[in-house]
Amino acid sequence: MNYPRSAYVHIPFCHRRCFYCDFPVVILGDKARGDYGPGSRTVQSYLKLLFREISLASKGTPLATIYIGGGTPSLLAPYQVADLLNHLNNQFGFQDGAEVSFEIDPASFNREELMGYIEAGVNRFSLGAQSFDNVMLSKIGRRHEFNHLIDSFNWINEFFLEGKLCSWSLDLIQNLPNQDIEAWKSQLEKVIDIAPPHVSIYDLSIENGTVFEWMQNRGELDLPDSDLSADIAILTSSMLKEAGFSRYEISNFALPGHTSRHNRVYWSGSEWWGFGQGATSFIGGKRFSRPRKSAEYKQWVKKQEVEGSEASLGSKRNSPIDLEDMLLTGLRRREGINFWQLANDWGWDKKQTHIFLNQLLIRWDDFIKGGLVKNYGERICLSDPEGMNLSNQILVEMILWWESLPKDAVEPPIL
Amino acid sequence: MTDAPASRLRNFCIIAHIDHGKSTLADRLLQDTDTVASRDMQDQFLDNMDLERERGITIKLQAARMNYKALDGKDYVLNLIDTPGHVDFSYEVSRSLQACEGALLVVDASQGVEAQTLANVYLALENDLEIIPVLNKVDLPGSDPERIKNEIESIIGLDTSKAIECSAKTGLGIPEILQAVVDRVPAPEDLVDNLTKALIFDSYYDPYRGVIVYFRIISGTITHRDKVLLMASKKSYDIDEIGVMAPEQKKVEELHAGEVGYLAASIKAVADARVGDTITLFNAPAEEPLPGYTEAKPMVFCGLFPTDADQYPDLRESLEKLQLSDAALKYEPETSSAMGFGFRCGFLGLLHMEIVQERLEREYDLDLIVTAPSVIYKVNMLDGKALMVDNPATLPDPQKRDSLEEPYVRLEIYTPNDYNGTLMGLCQDRRGDFVDMKYMTTNRVTLVYEIPLAEVVTNFFDEMKSRTKGYASMEYHLIGYRRNDLVRLDVLINSEKADPLTTIVHREKAYGVGRALVEKLKELIPKQQFKIPLQASIGSRVIASESISALRKDVLAKCYGGDISRKKKLLKKQAKGKKRMKSMGKVDVPQEAFMAVLKLNK
Repeated sequence: MNYPRSAYVHIPFCHRRCFYCDFPVVILGDKARGDYGPGSRTVQSYLKLLFREISLASKGTPLATIYIGGGTPSLLAPYQVADLLNHLNNQFGFQDGAEVSFEIDPASFNREELMGYIEAGVNRFSLGAQSFDNVMLSKIGRRHEFNHLIDSFNWINEFFLEGKLCSWSLDLIQNLPNQDIEAWKSQLEKVIDIAPPHVSIYDLSIENGTVFEWMQNRGELDLPDSDLSADIAILTSSMLKEAGFSRYEISNFALPGHTSRHNRVYWSGSEWWGFGQGATSFIGGKRFSRPRKSAEYKQWVKKQEVEGSEASLGSKRNSPIDLEDMLLTGLRRREGINFWQLANDWGWDKKQTHIFLNQLLIRWDDFIKGGLVKNYGERICLSDPEGMNLSNQILVEMILWWESLPKDAVEPPIL
Repeated sequence: MTDAPASRLRNFCIIAHIDHGKSTLADRLLQDTDTVASRDMQDQFLDNMDLERERGITIKLQAARMNYKALDGKDYVLNLIDTPGHVDFSYEVSRSLQACEGALLVVDASQGVEAQTLANVYLALENDLEIIPVLNKVDLPGSDPERIKNEIESIIGLDTSKAIECSAKTGLGIPEILQAVVDRVPAPEDLVDNLTKALIFDSYYDPYRGVIVYFRIISGTITHRDKVLLMASKKSYDIDEIGVMAPEQKKVEELHAGEVGYLAASIKAVADARVGDTITLFNAPAEEPLPGYTEAKPMVFCGLFPTDADQYPDLRESLEKLQLSDAALKYEPETSSAMGFGFRCGFLGLLHMEIVQERLEREYDLDLIVTAPSVIYKVNMLDGKALMVDNPATLPDPQKRDSLEEPYVRLEIYTPNDYNGTLMGLCQDRRGDFVDMKYMTTNRVTLVYEIPLAEVVTNFFDEMKSRTKGYASMEYHLIGYRRNDLVRLDVLINSEKADPLTTIVHREKAYGVGRALVEKLKELIPKQQFKIPLQASIGSRVIASESISALRKDVLAKCYGGDISRKKKLLKKQAKGKKRMKSMGKVDVPQEAFMAVLKLNK
């Protein structure tokens, strides 16, 4: 059996919950730290639990990518991160040149700590900037301010130029309340000025149970309408492209050689380990989300220790990854999908593939004529920005195509 | 089973407004007479269909036979005949009343008399039924039996000195009701020796035995070996089986005048054994049928189209099957360039229409587009001919028409007088002509209007309920056709005429409706990849236009990490929504849009 070569580790702790956030997080207060003082005991007992979960995994293939996300992983002290990476290394081993990403939130670390993370083994930072505008930052419930960001950029860039980091990413949210296009443009200009090698830009979405949902219900959120948000998306795509970034996935942009290898795992159908409260793993063809609440996660780990983790995590895979999933995720990437290859893996013969593909292309006729879907022989991809910005419409049509196929064509073949 | 002489038979029904506790009371009676053992008691035994149970209303009537030992020590047979409780089914109600000698008038002891109850009481009085007033729910804190008794006396004019106070829920008053049925409901006339006449008061379709007919024998006898003749449908059948409802069907060999029972005779469709028809013996037929039979006349029409054209044969088959058990349902094929193949269907009223739609979707698993309800218009053509048109889209061009007539109803609204003003406003807004306003009690009023049926079938009921916080109730019946200045209002979506959205409106309201209609459609039709013009027109003249701007962004770009199952879930949901839409030309139109005319912001 092939074991995953990637691992996601979730560190759920945050100082506060941001107004848009519905992630599985544990709030520890503004003064919390991982190593001592407020909240540290919670963090420490969580880490112990996390290490227990890691030790349950099958020892196997060395890891090529590791992503420590949150929450706010930078609440941890460098030695705690080193500890965590040691556990992973002992369990799986790391491949040469493994990508070790670590999410950091401005105002939760200083220069020494950053250096400490690097010494612990981190070689890629992902900085949750979200916005450069102080008014906006406080409006969305962030703890940091623009001057914290400046410090962060300076430190990270310094380490990057010294070769201590392989890469780093800047994360922003677009379509925030009261966003106007001019302000967004000046943010993008700043991004280009700072020149991170990788940028993730996510859309704000209003989720159940968040402060923003509550405000929206009271009519207190002035969100960009669909035309403005389209303008914003087009501007993002064109300005970053102009500056040399490639949009290698709907929300991710990178300078040549700086795509996130871990990120690509998610969209390519490869598998990954998941560790920690609320983390999703994909092993043996099975996606599994861990309990989102602390107590339930603890119970779950205990149960795995007694029963073994095979049951919930899946064991040996006996069919390929769902073709529909491969298409849905694959089409989020710049290079799209190799339809014939995927169809072959799924067990369709040439004749079937030809017939089914034609049915899909007929459904997509308007998108193809409009230049939203590009069909280069075997490869199919969405254009940027037209196709990517309307990807739901295209994917929904594909789901309807999938549902219209004969039953035996959508049943997974036995390997 | 007792072979009861006519003098020991009592046939009665229950008249009640929805929610006043008819079904619960019926259940109690069955339980107290040991007709149904408590452990077998399903809540509300008489309402068989899931739909009925969900909506808490009786659509199809049922009957039950109970054995009861009265205070005089003798055994009696009590037949309870259930009646549907909605204005759409008033013909069925009148037939089941004709099968009885008495009725329990059940009134909620806190809410009082409602319009529907009133209408049915008058029907019962017309049929010379003995009426026993029953005040239900007296156990509830808000109940005020004395006030409600006064109300019954002053509104209906019934003597309430012997009214029975009961609680179907707790069982209070149930023995008194059973005894009152024996004491006060007259025994049927003993006409066993006359020629056989039996009244059909209900029928339903059973896929294994054919139509099961419920009947009341008025005179003569029927045995399980007889050949019967149905006098209206003029068809004859050899009986397979007769029996009584106890309440499960129980075979017997013979039934005689005064009794209530069922028969099976391999009858293919309920239309062949319609409610109100008279059963007689083929070899010794009665000379005259029982009075009161009428054909089912649909009053409300709409188009039914499958969302997915491939489902057309399924829809046809389902309608055929449904018609086997619903004699009032009428349908014929309809094609429209915009909608493809479907059916134009006729219904007794709005509730009937909703029930059929829901049964098609639920029992036959069809995705349907239902167009807004319409009525039958009478078109007087220039060449002197007259046409009846039930589909606005097929109304002939104005150059060929001399005039248009539309059906009117006499509408009675029964309401607490606080809501007078708002209801009169509503009626006026709907082109009603005021006829009368009667104070029934010091704070209850009946408003009488003559009003176009078309205005009543377009969400009048909902509007009345919302304006009166649910307190008003209504009743109407057809009074004939009247000439009006009506025009055909067409709708164009993406420059193509959308037949199912065509409506007929009064000329004076056309501009307002046209504007409101395109505005509503703009709200209801989701943006698509191109700009969609929307227009309302009379003939070739566009009177209102709007447009839906092109969709430029629809993407999931939220940060989910590796959790693609959430993304997939959202996309699947979106796909499901899209599947339920109808493509008209290149535009996907959701089902709600076809009902837009009912939801205008006026």
